Amino acid sequence: MSFDGCKTVVTEGDTVILFLTVNQVYAITAEKKTKNKNGDLVPYVFQTPYGALKGEQLIGKEFGTKILLSKGWGYILQPTPELWTVALRHRTQIIYTPDISMITLQLELKPGSVVIESGTGSGSLSHALIRSVKPHGHLYTFDFHKERADIARQEFQDHGLQEYVTVYNRDVCCNGFDEALDGKVDAVFLDLPHPWLAIPHGVNSFKPEGGRLCSFSPCIEQVQKTCLKLREHHFQEIETLEVLQTQFSVQTRRLASLEMEYLKNPKEENDGDNKCEKQIVSTLTAIPPLSQPGHTGYLTFATMPPIWARSMKTIDDLDNDDNEN
Amino acid sequence: MEDEHKITPGRYTILQRQGYTKLYKVKENGTVMIRHFTVETQNAVNAKFFDLFQMKPKGNSRKMCKLERVTSVDDDIKHTGGSGNDNRNIIDDGTSQTLTKEQIEELQDGSKSSVEIVNQLIANSKTFSSKTGYSQEKYKSKKQKKYYEYIYFRKPTIRILAQMFYRQDPTKVLGIRTDDLSQILAYANIQTDGKYILFDSGTSGLMTAAILNAIGANTSGKLVHMHPGNECQKVAVQAMDFPQEQLSRCINVNIYSVLRCFYQNSEENMLKRKLPLEEEEVVQKKMKLDDDVEEGIKEVVVATEEVEASNKNEVSNGKKTPGWQIENAKACELLREGVDGLIIVAKEHPASIVKELTQFLNVSRNMVVFHLLREPLQDIYIDLKKSLEFVNIKVSNNFVRNYQVLPDRTHPLVNMNSGGHILHGQKVQS
Ligand SMILES: C[S@@+](CC[C@H](N)C(=O)[O-])C[C@H]1O[C@@H](n2cnc3c(N)ncnc32)[C@H](O)[C@@H]1O
Repeated sequence: MSFDGCKTVVTEGDTVILFLTVNQVYAITAEKKTKNKNGDLVPYVFQTPYGALKGEQLIGKEFGTKILLSKGWGYILQPTPELWTVALRHRTQIIYTPDISMITLQLELKPGSVVIESGTGSGSLSHALIRSVKPHGHLYTFDFHKERADIARQEFQDHGLQEYVTVYNRDVCCNGFDEALDGKVDAVFLDLPHPWLAIPHGVNSFKPEGGRLCSFSPCIEQVQKTCLKLREHHFQEIETLEVLQTQFSVQTRRLASLEMEYLKNPKEENDGDNKCEKQIVSTLTAIPPLSQPGHTGYLTFATMPPIWARSMKTIDDLDNDDNEN
Repeated sequence: MEDEHKITPGRYTILQRQGYTKLYKVKENGTVMIRHFTVETQNAVNAKFFDLFQMKPKGNSRKMCKLERVTSVDDDIKHTGGSGNDNRNIIDDGTSQTLTKEQIEELQDGSKSSVEIVNQLIANSKTFSSKTGYSQEKYKSKKQKKYYEYIYFRKPTIRILAQMFYRQDPTKVLGIRTDDLSQILAYANIQTDGKYILFDSGTSGLMTAAILNAIGANTSGKLVHMHPGNECQKVAVQAMDFPQEQLSRCINVNIYSVLRCFYQNSEENMLKRKLPLEEEEVVQKKMKLDDDVEEGIKEVVVATEEVEASNKNEVSNGKKTPGWQIENAKACELLREGVDGLIIVAKEHPASIVKELTQFLNVSRNMVVFHLLREPLQDIYIDLKKSLEFVNIKVSNNFVRNYQVLPDRTHPLVNMNSGGHILHGQKVQS
């Protein structure tokens, strides 16, 4: 229940983020009982690396406070879409915050926007989309995998977001988006193996004043097919980019410094000891990880112009080849 | 609904000529500079966004253009001379174009369309026919792009403004690139019912506009926008044309002035007493400002004095409470309640700002600090670690690469740039 707006106290049913370390971030439900494999209600206990935590213990606690575990302690935080992306259970490949941020900004979402997403996948992006468009807007999200759609629907309900989102179990490449959405949508987002098959359907969904489209694809061949299809359907401002984030580890490093001053003076018999004495110098630095993702996916953005300018022939995306040879 | 998409006088629009964008405030009889032409925009007034206009010369003037509504772009470039198989015979000795520089300049006096100019250039090029089909295409589009004379107007959005400012001059937005902006907003977790503090030392109003846009119209969210100068920068805010209701939930205050109010309760008490500001206090405040503000921003200080002087007049004449004091009081009230997000984008070293403002942030809420340099953020990282008040602290930057995607010619764009650095973390009860 805890995804909708700003909350200070944990109430029963809330999803709570348990923060132990930067690499140990978990999502826990503040509930007394849970169903076990046989469907019986049993007390809900979450096993952390620092000992067990009863779901019940969280109820009534304030977000942002310390929670004691048998072998240590952690902090409980109100979930945000960014924390959720880190803590959620993967049911598919997911999109991460650097790409998600770019997507929401470039789709020009704001409270009140109506947005289509396909596929829903693990709902990593969906949570950020919902935050951007609520309370007056809506997310329509589509996945042809029934179980994923069902789990996502349940999750949005558990997170208190159900009034801002509708989950469809539907193949958008074959059957398009809901006809009821025709002319009602501000933005369309695609994370599909064959996005170009969904684009012709997406065109109908846009409001008469037009809107923005984004497609996320790991492979360049998908991007090429997508861009061709976008041109064919009179999209403008077609742009492809990628975003890679580097997270630094900030450290004070102590480095040895060689002493050479003494070499300028004549050698003396009795200073043999401090000759090669090394100094230690502290330096503050930020170190990138030894290895990090070098590719997530290509983001292709495009503008659907308003209906009165759609068939207009322009050459706005003239060959923008800047390669001078 | 209709008006929302109309180019009405008084409203800000984005004027677009291919990839080039410019912010333009519509006037009944306005003009705007495009390339070396002064363009009268009269004929676009009350037309719709995305309507296409062609720049046409006005009378015999070589400098003045007017706009003519068209429904399509003429790109009928004529060339029937065939093409070569490769460029082995092309010698670039600068003599392939037989038109002189003067003649080309004359072509551009505005009386010819880009297509006519390009056709002339091709007809007078000795080598065009021996170029490969690919090179010919490239030549045509490059030339046509250069002389392109079609424009349209569109509604400003945060994306367009961010890209436009950054392209014009990154210092206009403290070096905040689009990806930086997107992540500042995401990590700040802007909710429509939240209260936020923004410290911004000059992003042309972009940060304020972006946060206000995320807070939304007809919601309860609020923003306290603190700035170090006298007047806050607000071009982007004006361009976004927010409804008054939304705009009024953004409280613009000078950081020194509001903190003084917070610690010394002066304006708040004053509001209660409904008495004019005492002479001495004003003088004191000015001096304080002088002390606080760095050498480089002296002009701002001068301006501050002017405004304070006029405020003082207002006080003594009408016995009215000046606007900035009301804003300070409103802001202090929010500071006392605590806020749901703290965003700091500074050109100064942000450490003292962070130290001062984190007290207003509620626990389990996020702080985001942007700086072009990484070192100041490293310092803050160490400070925060020591304070034990923040967890999940991260310092990051982005690599962004744009691509050209064309059949058989897909590759990363040749030029790229580097963005800034972001620190973010969540406050906890220490
Ligand atoms: C990579 S996942 C999306 C992940 C999601 N963006 C996230 O961040 O969690 C792709 C999803 O698209 C769904 N999908 C693939 N083809 C589809 C189609 N034609 N119609 C609807 N959904 C489809 C798959 O079932 C899968 O769940």
